[in-house]
Amino acid sequence: MKRNTSCLAALLACSGAASAQGSVTLYGVVDAGLLYQSTAAASFAPNAPNLGKVYRYKDGGIYASFWGLKGSEDLGGGYKLNFRLQGSFDTGTGRSGLSDTPGVPASFNQFATIGLTGPFGTFNAGRQIVPMIYAMFDTDVRGAQYFGSILTAWLGMNQVAGWSGTSTNAAIGALYDSNALVYESPKFYGASVALEYAPGGVPGQFKGGTRESAVLKYSNYGLNLSAVYYNGHDTSPLPGVAPTGLNNNRFMYFGAMYTFRDFSVSGSYSRGKNPANTGRADYDLYAAGLGYRFSPVLKVTSGFYYLKDNNNSTNHSSEVAVGTEYSLSKRTLTYAQVGYVDNHGTMNQTIVYGQPVAPGKSTTAAMVGVRHNF
Amino acid sequence: MKPNAYRCAALIVFLAMGVISQVTEANAAASTPSVASAASAPVATRTQNRALRRSVYAAFAKDKAIDAGDIGVSAKDGDITLTGTVGDAAHIGKAAELASGVPGVRSVTNKLTVKRPFGQ
Repeated sequence: MKRNTSCLAALLACSGAASAQGSVTLYGVVDAGLLYQSTAAASFAPNAPNLGKVYRYKDGGIYASFWGLKGSEDLGGGYKLNFRLQGSFDTGTGRSGLSDTPGVPASFNQFATIGLTGPFGTFNAGRQIVPMIYAMFDTDVRGAQYFGSILTAWLGMNQVAGWSGTSTNAAIGALYDSNALVYESPKFYGASVALEYAPGGVPGQFKGGTRESAVLKYSNYGLNLSAVYYNGHDTSPLPGVAPTGLNNNRFMYFGAMYTFRDFSVSGSYSRGKNPANTGRADYDLYAAGLGYRFSPVLKVTSGFYYLKDNNNSTNHSSEVAVGTEYSLSKRTLTYAQVGYVDNHGTMNQTIVYGQPVAPGKSTTAAMVGVRHNF
Repeated sequence: MKPNAYRCAALIVFLAMGVISQVTEANAAASTPSVASAASAPVATRTQNRALRRSVYAAFAKDKAIDAGDIGVSAKDGDITLTGTVGDAAHIGKAAELASGVPGVRSVTNKLTVKRPFGQ
């Protein structure tokens, strides 16, 4: 899947500077498909008009397309130094993915980390995908993917809480955090813990812009269990609002997934709110999933996601998604998926990441595509 | 009306699918007492199957690399079937090796595949 690119390694060797480098790997994924959706909107605004049916080229039906470089150096004594630089891009337009500043892309918007692995576990510093996302991934049959999953449902919670979708700075929880320090413990009889702290670096405000999270995981006997606590200060601020250390982002998640024979089932409960002003954001999310693997190369997964606003009972949203993946080779798969979402009030839970739906309406979407690892 | 009907339908589908998938296990559990009064041999076999399944998982738990949260283990008279996924291609063989090393395991059918990591 990921192979060492000998020419790149040779290039680095020639330069002489990388002589101590253990290995460098160039890797990535290209994922593209065609999407049909019965409603569309130009933004996540609660009053965005329905622009009608859309039929389009869509990047990332499973996850984003991306490329990256990673490497490690053996320091001896069981310790390894690792680095990872990874950025997403849109195969439709060639554009780079977003950073945490609205409208501004970043070359390495997914990962820019330096870290250490050893007997103590793993430590990574820099911009990265945060532990809560892996906790959700481990306990969702749909695998927190871009089309109808716990990820799009959680983003639906963010959209109704005011996240505009123009940056990766979410209102509730986070997919990526900048300046993050993340520790992951080794597994002890299937149990492990992950801790995150991201200093905000705001002068004069020690808590300004900080993030902290903890994840507990268990994985054995065919069972994955995850518990998440995420807390953020000054997240998703309006433009021009100075960080003051306001504690305005809290996300909690409890999930389980069980695998037996060729089936897998999952379920979870999440709660997201603005602890500084619960009247502004307080949501519950319930999820269920069921999957079946017909053969090593063919699987079908389904999920149901119900989102509700505890401040306004007219705002609620239910989504179902079913998808099938067929592997053509170890590195290439094709997929077909359909989803249906019934949004009420100002809810605008999407079916696929990157294509807004009209708020308060029911929407159907279908997508076929190909995903290739290199 | 419409949303409720839709939600009910979705729930019913999920519950039904869940029930079907649980039937085999439920049958195994429910039939145990009745079988116990009829004949003792199958009960011992079922208990043994379950114990063997647990031993295989216990062997996975002792291994630092293997993550058995996504591995399904079914046991029948010493024959083990591994389903689900592992984190790394090397773990497919390793899991089968660990399972066959458990006392009482006669054969291992390996249906494991590699789990796609998040984002990959």
